[in-house]
Amino acid sequence: MPEVKLKDVVKTYDKGRITAVDHVNLTVHDKEYLTLLGPSGCGKTTTLRMIAGLQLPDEGVITIGEREVSNLPPEYRDIGYVFQEYALFPHMDVWNNVTYGPRVKGWTEKKSNKIGREMLELVRLFERTDAVPAELSGGMRQRVALARALASGSKLLLLDEPLGALDARIRTDLRYEIRKLVKDLGLTAIHVTHDQAEAMAISDRIAVMRKGKILQVGTPQELYLSPQHIFVANFVGESNFLEGYVVDRAGHKLTVELRGGISVKSVNEDHQKGEKVVVGVRPEVLSIAKGEHTGLNSISGNIEGFRFEGNNVRYEIRLQNDDMVVVVHPALMGEWLKVGEKVTVAFPVEKSFVFSYPEKGLRTELALE
Amino acid sequence: MTTFSQAKGKKTLLSRIGVSATVASLILFVFLPSFFLISFTFTRWPEVYTEVFANPLIGNTNWIEIQKYLGLSLRLALSAVVIDLIFGIPLAYILARKKFWGKGFLEDLISFTLVIPTSGFGFATLIAWTSATGIGALLTGGTVQIDTVIPFLNVPFLMLIIHIALTFPYIVKTLKAKLEDMSTLFEQASGTLGATPLTTFRKILVPLTLPAIFSGTVLAFARSLGETGATLVVSGIFTTAPIAVISWVSQFKFGSAAFLGSLLIIVASAIILPVEFILKKKGVTSFSFFSTLHIQKTLQKFEDFASRKLKRVKDIVVVIFLIIVVIVPIVYVISNVALYWNSDPDTGNVKESVMYQLFGPSNYFSALMDATLVSFASAAIATFVAACIAMPTVFLIMRSRFGSILRALLRVPLIVPTSALGLSILLLWGPGGMRLANPGIWLIILTHIVFSVPVVVEPMLATFEGSDIPLYEEASVTLGANAYNTIESISLPLLKRGILTGVILSFTRSLGETGATFLVMGSDVTIPPLVVNMVESLAIPAALFASTYLIALAFILLMVFRKVTTR
Repeated sequence: MPEVKLKDVVKTYDKGRITAVDHVNLTVHDKEYLTLLGPSGCGKTTTLRMIAGLQLPDEGVITIGEREVSNLPPEYRDIGYVFQEYALFPHMDVWNNVTYGPRVKGWTEKKSNKIGREMLELVRLFERTDAVPAELSGGMRQRVALARALASGSKLLLLDEPLGALDARIRTDLRYEIRKLVKDLGLTAIHVTHDQAEAMAISDRIAVMRKGKILQVGTPQELYLSPQHIFVANFVGESNFLEGYVVDRAGHKLTVELRGGISVKSVNEDHQKGEKVVVGVRPEVLSIAKGEHTGLNSISGNIEGFRFEGNNVRYEIRLQNDDMVVVVHPALMGEWLKVGEKVTVAFPVEKSFVFSYPEKGLRTELALE
Repeated sequence: MTTFSQAKGKKTLLSRIGVSATVASLILFVFLPSFFLISFTFTRWPEVYTEVFANPLIGNTNWIEIQKYLGLSLRLALSAVVIDLIFGIPLAYILARKKFWGKGFLEDLISFTLVIPTSGFGFATLIAWTSATGIGALLTGGTVQIDTVIPFLNVPFLMLIIHIALTFPYIVKTLKAKLEDMSTLFEQASGTLGATPLTTFRKILVPLTLPAIFSGTVLAFARSLGETGATLVVSGIFTTAPIAVISWVSQFKFGSAAFLGSLLIIVASAIILPVEFILKKKGVTSFSFFSTLHIQKTLQKFEDFASRKLKRVKDIVVVIFLIIVVIVPIVYVISNVALYWNSDPDTGNVKESVMYQLFGPSNYFSALMDATLVSFASAAIATFVAACIAMPTVFLIMRSRFGSILRALLRVPLIVPTSALGLSILLLWGPGGMRLANPGIWLIILTHIVFSVPVVVEPMLATFEGSDIPLYEEASVTLGANAYNTIESISLPLLKRGILTGVILSFTRSLGETGATFLVMGSDVTIPPLVVNMVESLAIPAALFASTYLIALAFILLMVFRKVTTR
């Protein structure tokens, strides 16, 4: 039932001097788990709060299901909202927190009690109904907040950084739990986070936001394999960027000349001969071999840094043209190379991306704030 | 089912009515009385001028007296505040940072003088210092009498003592609260860097708590400037500005009284509001007074020495201070009630006994019971009305664009000396003004509402700011609660502690108020003026009993207060 649509939604602060959300268009399908991902200050929370009605848009239309809700107060929107700080009412115990929604909506006591019990069982906190929020651990509070949002009977769940205040390990456990709950109950969920690993693990689709705009919406795989924007390539996963010019183009195959006259090949349909471009390669895609080798997309260089990260090893390599690249390999695959060794890195043509060189410079375009 | 637009229309209409009603009652009950006196002085300026500056018989004698009384009030307030700071700062530090046996008792003692109706405590102090067996005789060999003046400061001794006792809790409480809020991390860091406790205190704690020290000082100053109940009891031949207002009104010299009252309001506002404004805007971050004097090194050496050798001195001095200004008067007055119960212990005169004066022909006991009834009734009604106005006001302050202005305006009734306020009410609502009520209980209630509203608002605001109420309200509406549900089941329960604190403070203050009540009470005498009357008619045993009665009352209020404010 609840499909959420945002059409040209704009929100400004400080009398229009700051644009928090800039003409956002987005459709969240029924029963979909969608994540709004972006660095802090990108407008993702503002977008979520506008969907909830906690803030009203300056322009644009928001619909939930068939109903336009753009200026409707939150209490009429029939939503479930999980706050970053949980916002569990400190003067009520777990039971009264969870059944608050049903009670204020005037449901019968029988019905309120039934859904309260169900939700508390769902989050496995039924034995703690008498506890007040201050007596619970962070993870428990999170689960109560979830149960409370769900108990209002809404099919639309809005989550504002729901795992932000938790320890690393509990975060990863809870994210799968939340997804399972949403899927089991057949809900539509919109989840806000700045953590790309969390977004990848939990979402059906991700909308990457930056400076009030949505840059790309897609499944985690789409974002990782074919980022449409240089910022997405860097924010979802990690990328090495090599600057150069398109020197030849045959069909959708490009030849790019990097600094120092190195030429590499890549695939893209948009760029013309002579255009300044950036070639992006993920650290885990780069292969690495000792010594100097020639071949397609092979560049020699020197290992300048080595880090053992547990599951991975990470090399920092200065290429022959002075560009730096990072290479990440599984720690238990192959032998480890040492700092100072001469190596050649290479990448497959189809696993690289080409972007136009950003007008404001590479650094500005990748900046998180 | 109501559609959204209907619901919204209803909501905005309702909220408009609510806001208008709140603002209207604030103006009518709080702001108008606070400012009326000044406008009265302006509109009746020719009459006021003639009476004060150009009286055909006595010329400008009244103006000279006004200057004299104001001068005494200001000297008194200033001296009291300075001494408050000397004893109050270490006391606040000890209470906030140390754990020791009897700390709860010490805290109660400090709250005690805030709670007790001041005329009762004033009488206790008077008796304890001036009688032949009291502390005055013990410490000074009987040289302290009601007319003893401290040389140089030119301030009556007893007045100063009583003002210190009544004002130092403001500094202690504000500073203590601030220190308790502050993490001890900075002090620990300073210690690890090699500073002695005293140096840490001067270089770290004082700069960080200066805003709190200032606002405590401001409160103490305002209280001293307006104090009437106890001051009347110990005044003897001296007259402070608030007392002058009262005595002029009783002589129907309304022009002089209004002019002096206006001056008091203006002086209090001119001294207090700028300090508050600066503190709010800028805060006080640096405190380089000592370093500019180039005595840093000497100071540090002294602090080093004092921190090692004089550790206990501070604690002992502070405790002695408390004993002298608070405990001795209480104990003395209670013991004297016992002594005078059946007869005067020196002369054996039965007519000078507590029993005779209470139940004999003068029948002070029934007067006291009548006064208790009037006091409780007026305090309860005033507090109830004030709470009803204060609750929506708090939401208005937190939500509306004009909140900060409203908040600043609400400070005014708190600092206006109450005798000026009483005069203002008398001239505004009384027989000479709008004829709303004759002097009596209803006028008392109207007067008490004026200062009760800000008294209730302040702790509610503090609670509001200390909690995440806006967040919980958002959570509530996302769960489908409407505004009414949200306020009823979320906001008000979360504000409960603040409301209760405010209500008790307001009730207490109303119960003890003397300055304004004197002017508006007519024949409905409340307890504090009754005590003053007893002292003035030299019914000492009756006053002893009334004073003890008030002390007992204060202890009961204190227990209630404690129960409410501790978690």
